[in-house]
Amino acid sequence: MNTAEALFFAVRLWLSIGAFVAAVFLTVGIDRVDEDARGAYVFRPLLVPGILLIWPLVVWRWGVLEMGRDRWAARYAPPRATHMAAALLMAGAMVVAIWLGLSSRQDWPADIAPERLSAPEVSQ
Amino acid sequence: MSDKKSPFFVGYLPIPARLRPFLISAALSVVAVFAVAGVMIGGTQDDPGPGAFRFDYGRQTVTGVVSLVPYPLVHVTQGNDRIKPGHTLMLTGQGKSSVVARATPLERQLATVSGVILQRGALDMLQVAGGRNGLQAAEGTAPEQVPEPLGRWRLAGEICDGKCLAGAMRPGRGLAHKACANLCLIGGIPPVFVSSQPVEGSEFLLVTGPDGTALPKSAYDFVAQYISVEGAVERHGDLLVFQIDPDTMEVLP
Amino acid sequence: MSVKYIPVQWNRNKWLYDGVMLAGVCAFLWLFIHVSPELLSHEHPINAQVHNARAFGACAFVMLSIILAIGPLARLDRRFLPLLYNRRHFGVMTVFVALSHASYIVNWYFAFSSSNKYEALLFANTSFGQVAGFPFEVFGIFALAVLLILATTSHDFWMKFLTPPVWKRLHYLIYPAYASVVAHVSLGILQEQQNHVFTGIFLVGAGAVALLHILAALHERRAGDPKADAGQGGLVRVCDVGDIAEGRARITLLPGGDRVAVFRQDGRLSAISNACAHQNGPLGEGRVIDCFVTCPWHGFQYDVTNGRSPAPFTETIPTYNLSLQGRSVMVDPTANPPGTYVEPVPVPDATPTEDPA
Repeated sequence: MNTAEALFFAVRLWLSIGAFVAAVFLTVGIDRVDEDARGAYVFRPLLVPGILLIWPLVVWRWGVLEMGRDRWAARYAPPRATHMAAALLMAGAMVVAIWLGLSSRQDWPADIAPERLSAPEVSQ
Repeated sequence: MSDKKSPFFVGYLPIPARLRPFLISAALSVVAVFAVAGVMIGGTQDDPGPGAFRFDYGRQTVTGVVSLVPYPLVHVTQGNDRIKPGHTLMLTGQGKSSVVARATPLERQLATVSGVILQRGALDMLQVAGGRNGLQAAEGTAPEQVPEPLGRWRLAGEICDGKCLAGAMRPGRGLAHKACANLCLIGGIPPVFVSSQPVEGSEFLLVTGPDGTALPKSAYDFVAQYISVEGAVERHGDLLVFQIDPDTMEVLP
Repeated sequence: MSVKYIPVQWNRNKWLYDGVMLAGVCAFLWLFIHVSPELLSHEHPINAQVHNARAFGACAFVMLSIILAIGPLARLDRRFLPLLYNRRHFGVMTVFVALSHASYIVNWYFAFSSSNKYEALLFANTSFGQVAGFPFEVFGIFALAVLLILATTSHDFWMKFLTPPVWKRLHYLIYPAYASVVAHVSLGILQEQQNHVFTGIFLVGAGAVALLHILAALHERRAGDPKADAGQGGLVRVCDVGDIAEGRARITLLPGGDRVAVFRQDGRLSAISNACAHQNGPLGEGRVIDCFVTCPWHGFQYDVTNGRSPAPFTETIPTYNLSLQGRSVMVDPTANPPGTYVEPVPVPDATPTEDPA
């Protein structure tokens, strides 16, 4: 029960920090790091849920862009080679999950009769 | 490399004429897959069983002797058309709550209980209404209730939360429902053992820990699985109570 | 997009796409929720909450399976590329369907107790040490969290802000999420279901997704872009000058792992990065339309000589210096900064092979 409370608290804390980051980023940061966002306000609320969830990434990217450390070459290097590994790992995990699931299924023990192991010790 | 004659789709331009038949058939296939899957999955769900809240019976009020095993029971002494004297009813509170706090002061006393019945075949349970009218002391002398020991048994079957099983939820048993069942049991809902075959005429037995304790936490891992377990069986009125020995619980193959 | 951001972009094809998808989802849910109870001859019906939860859960699984099939299908057969075009709308709708499933479950199985229902979801079943009876809800929670992350980061802003490779890596989470959904189903409803129609549909759907991804990965390995041959003076050889058709490109994997796309336009050759600035789509698999290289994924366009998008757009991609040695097309594997103009190299004795498209 305590673990559940702690986890739930951690989630709320994470989202609260995210809300703070969202407030600062969407009012101050976004105009500084993305020219396309300047003067565009309607789409900003749409970014709030994303910032709530991945705010550490937002802070990291914001910092990189602010400090001018963005390497342009990194923008054009898609991780295509990892698809094979991702596909195999996903397929493997699925096979394991399905095998575990189907092999642990039980049938109703209709053929097992109740067995009286001993008579009552005291009878009245 | 693609062949040179293949049409090229650009999202904001009209769809190339030679791509249209393919895309129309793809669109129809997608909708068809959804429709067929919807009917086939939806139309082949298992029967959730005969349990239900019997709101159609209306509110039921009976008088009887309260006992705690430690789950609260009432041995009906003054029944009605539906609930006959001599019947033993398990009591539960609203939702996933128990009435043990309200029943404890009335233990071994006559009380009037009122609420709605949950029923699944021979299994029934009374969801006690809130407030004083739900459970209150009644005039009269309570006849003594003596449980009849039936010996030690090894049974095969499933530990369920009695309320969902009896019809509070349909489906109200099984592994997909396990977390819900655990939450009910944590809340004090009477656990019920569904036996593979009737024991002394009963398919359903109220489950407790050894010597009249509540279901031990160690049993929660076994809830909703098909297990074999040993323990003493007692008859309380017309209800069997199975005092399981948690060390003997085994998951059946 | 390098004009001001707007919340959601729509055009005729996107409306059509969303219409088809919505029709499918509505058909599924309507048939499941309103028609299937007629087919089930249960004396006491399944609780509406559970029935709805199953409808939305199964629908989310079907949606996710279709979405995950689109990528590899488009790799294996380019005619499926239009399904990729607006996939993000499909994904966002999946999240709403999955959230509905979760909401029905949490407000039914985990409600009615004195505890907070979200905490109850975490503590009610803690049998982590066993397969049967494992709290399979955690797999659903993980998958839902991933779907939420993917949907909430689907706006173009995120691709530009995070950079497409980081964005793509983040969106690779869909693979563990789908496996997690499979585990959620396998250790959940499959444990107790007696009628195996759903089991069959589930196995076919999950199997198809796994198979398509492996096939696409194998296809990429076998028929993927060729590696550049080493040349002299640090240059690499891409191909013979005659290998490139007018209006098309030849993609080559450079020693550093980047891909260069050498285009032929009006009898002249230019080399640009194969990765589109928007989502790193394979520009070399695109076409030249109205003098601009057009990405096969979302139609972003670039001037092939300088890697710049036509105004008002401001996207840029790296270019590469290239030259001809005899008939060999040679490329300097060091990319120029995005938007750098490189003088195109005329193809000698160009006999135009017009693009029929």
